[in-house]
Amino acid sequence: MVKNLPVVPTAKAGSLVDTPTGITWRIQYPEILENCNMCLDCTLFCPDGAIVQQEGKLVLNLSLCKGCGICANECKENAIQMIPEYSGVQGVFR
Amino acid sequence: MSTTLLTGSEAAAYGAKLARIEVLAYYPITPAFPAMERISKFIDDGDLNTRFVRVESDHSALAAALGASLAGSRTFTVTNSQGLLYMTEVVYHTAGLRQPVVMAVANRALSAPHSRFPEQGDAISQGASGWIHLFCENNQEVLDNMLQAFKIAETVRLPVMVNYEGYIQSHTLEEVEIPNQEKIDQFLPLTRVRTLDVENPQAVNTVASPEFYMDYKFRQNEAMEQALTVIGSVSREYAQEFGRDWSGLIDTYQMEDAEHAFVAMGSMISDARIVVDELRSQGQKVGLVKVRAWRPFPAEALRQALKKVQLITIGDKNIVYGLGGALGTEVRSALYGQDVRINSYILGLGGRDVTTVEIKKVLELSEKTEKQATASEWFGL
Amino acid sequence: MALSIADLPKEELFGQGHAGCGGCGAAVAGRQAMKALGSRTIITIPASCMATMGGSNLKTTWQIPFYHTLFEIAPAVSSGIRAALDAQGIEDVNVVSWAGDAGTADIGFQALTGAAERNEHMMHVCYDNEMYMNTGGQTGSQTPMFAKTSNMSKGKMIKKKNMLAIMEAHEIDYVASASIAYPLDLIAKFKKAAEKPGFSYIHILAPCHRGWQIPAEKTIEFARLAVESGLFELYEVDEGKRTRTVEPIFIPVQDYLLPQGRFKNLTQEAIQGIQAGVNRHYGRGE
Ligand SMILES: Cc1ncc(C[n+]2csc(CCOP(=O)(O)OP(=O)(O)O)c2C)c(N)n1
Ligand code: SF4
Ligand code: SF4
Ligand code: SF4
Ligand SMILES: [Mg+2]
Repeated sequence: MVKNLPVVPTAKAGSLVDTPTGITWRIQYPEILENCNMCLDCTLFCPDGAIVQQEGKLVLNLSLCKGCGICANECKENAIQMIPEYSGVQGVFR
Repeated sequence: MSTTLLTGSEAAAYGAKLARIEVLAYYPITPAFPAMERISKFIDDGDLNTRFVRVESDHSALAAALGASLAGSRTFTVTNSQGLLYMTEVVYHTAGLRQPVVMAVANRALSAPHSRFPEQGDAISQGASGWIHLFCENNQEVLDNMLQAFKIAETVRLPVMVNYEGYIQSHTLEEVEIPNQEKIDQFLPLTRVRTLDVENPQAVNTVASPEFYMDYKFRQNEAMEQALTVIGSVSREYAQEFGRDWSGLIDTYQMEDAEHAFVAMGSMISDARIVVDELRSQGQKVGLVKVRAWRPFPAEALRQALKKVQLITIGDKNIVYGLGGALGTEVRSALYGQDVRINSYILGLGGRDVTTVEIKKVLELSEKTEKQATASEWFGL
Repeated sequence: MALSIADLPKEELFGQGHAGCGGCGAAVAGRQAMKALGSRTIITIPASCMATMGGSNLKTTWQIPFYHTLFEIAPAVSSGIRAALDAQGIEDVNVVSWAGDAGTADIGFQALTGAAERNEHMMHVCYDNEMYMNTGGQTGSQTPMFAKTSNMSKGKMIKKKNMLAIMEAHEIDYVASASIAYPLDLIAKFKKAAEKPGFSYIHILAPCHRGWQIPAEKTIEFARLAVESGLFELYEVDEGKRTRTVEPIFIPVQDYLLPQGRFKNLTQEAIQGIQAGVNRHYGRGE
């Protein structure tokens, strides 16, 4: 059966946001610590828009995060810690 | 409606003007440039409200036209030969994106060796590109096909090339009737489709996986097949409105009782009509089949038109190296299994004359040739 | 008034869910730029990592009209888009072509110089990762001298072509360099470019950790080191007026170069040559 496709090869805006491609590659994830001073630098350095500013708060969306570690590397307050994805004795995926 | 003397270039320009193109992009090349200059003059004189993108190359000309089309404007470009080859990548791409861009092509031979003279090899090189190809027999048809081209393109959402030969048509004055603008506006209302639109954002040409690519291609080819019908219906509608019937995919002349048919396209057709009249007056049952739409290829229409003849002679102003003339090869394959003698000839390359004299000679030669040794033979060397 | 991150638009117009590598510098550039450009923007991106990561089949990360063009045509396509918008009386839309270093300086240069010469009302952005990453990391005109790539294992023996100077010579409305390590500087430059009636060119150094052979988390750090060493100067030429927007602190160039895998085999002589070049450019020492 031929698929019913748009006449012009197109994709609807933002359709990847709900089904992100890269997160299964992740081997570590960031955790934001209490000493965060809300400088918001990490929101502009994250390549994936996984840390954003929302209603005066820093929100981390792990379903978008690829675990690159840029945010932790750039945070001047050392307020982001990278944690390995596998944990526990059997090394199970989180 | 008014009648004036126009070159094929001017006829194409008037077609673009009557179609009220919104965006124009071209890069100068001989012999297409007079059409370009004429439209630019319309714009400079305030007779046409069109944005002209003065690009730095043929490749960018079609790219700009494509961008404008994706943003929802009716767009047009003109080129030929080296310009057409240079834009080839964009030619295929435009068809894949299903944009109704119209392009006039003042057919010219391809280098090397360098030639500025007429031939259909440039258009033929784009036969697999996904563009609809219309070939015009005279300047009136150039103008009329321009208008039909936009209608066909916007209906099936495929780009269309309007082919007329360099010099023979582009630079020759003929009487042309210019339809009146209000009637054209009714025949060709603007159907605006904005693919790139900030009000309705979408991503165009995202990478297609094997799971999708083939389905897109099926749909694209399906649109080509739809064009087989649409080209006919647009032609009939035009005939009703403007009184000139170019008769759809193919046209036939004196074919009712013809035993020998000449099949060709482009400028040869108007000469061939004279030859047919002359041979008829001598009692020979000769007829003419004009291929007006070369893509989509009108195989079924040709089978119908040619089912009663005993001899078919095909004239090709092009050569597909190692295979033969394009039309000859394709007509043979369309008639596969039909019991008929087919002789196909390559002639008129790079501007070598094909007048009534040559056409008559080709038909005589064909009558005498029982079976051709090769797929196409060269005539006029 | 200086920009502050808190005041930037919250909408995420590009990047969420994109299909590129983790830690991609080009993606960072795209996110930062979209904070300045906003949703009334049409972007064309030729074949490149950035085009590929935009989406596949029926999915895209872009929230604005995005068109993945052929490799060498984006500025021409954008010129046509602007013409169509003008024809339709649509005025408040940013028209942007955005290409990699190959799509800008090499195969894409013809269409770029054409659009710039016509002073089209649009901007072209080069995100420069200094090699052809989408095809595996080959050398191009923007690859710096001595850098090793997938097809030049001994390193490139000629200099990087200066695209900013070339674009400045077009005498267009606005030319600027930018770095993903200086997002507010970058965003301010995009805002300026968007206000111009004619053509703007922005050249962003956007490290690719794969090609540069650096750890992914150091993508921003190396973008910063390039500026701090003076090797990548941040400046703008606004209607002919040249201003340096960030003063380098002049860390030794080797601190930027040597930790990168692609420069691993740099000789001391080569490093001294590069350092001398930087000193000369800024009129220091000697
Ligand atoms: C006409 C054409 N030639 C070659 C290619 C193959 N190609 C695709 S992307 C690319 C390199 C892109 O390099 P750049 O512009 O620097 O972007 P990057 O991938 O590094 O982000 C090449 C050579 C192509 N798609 N089209
Ligand atoms: S960079 Fe660090 S301090 Fe600044 S907002 Fe992010 S986590 Fe908080
Ligand atoms: S690890 Fe990378 S992707 Fe994840 S939030 Fe940090 S910067 Fe973003
Ligand atoms: S190869 Fe480099 S430029 Fe391409 S997506 Fe990966 S990190 Fe980005
Ligand atoms: Mg690159």
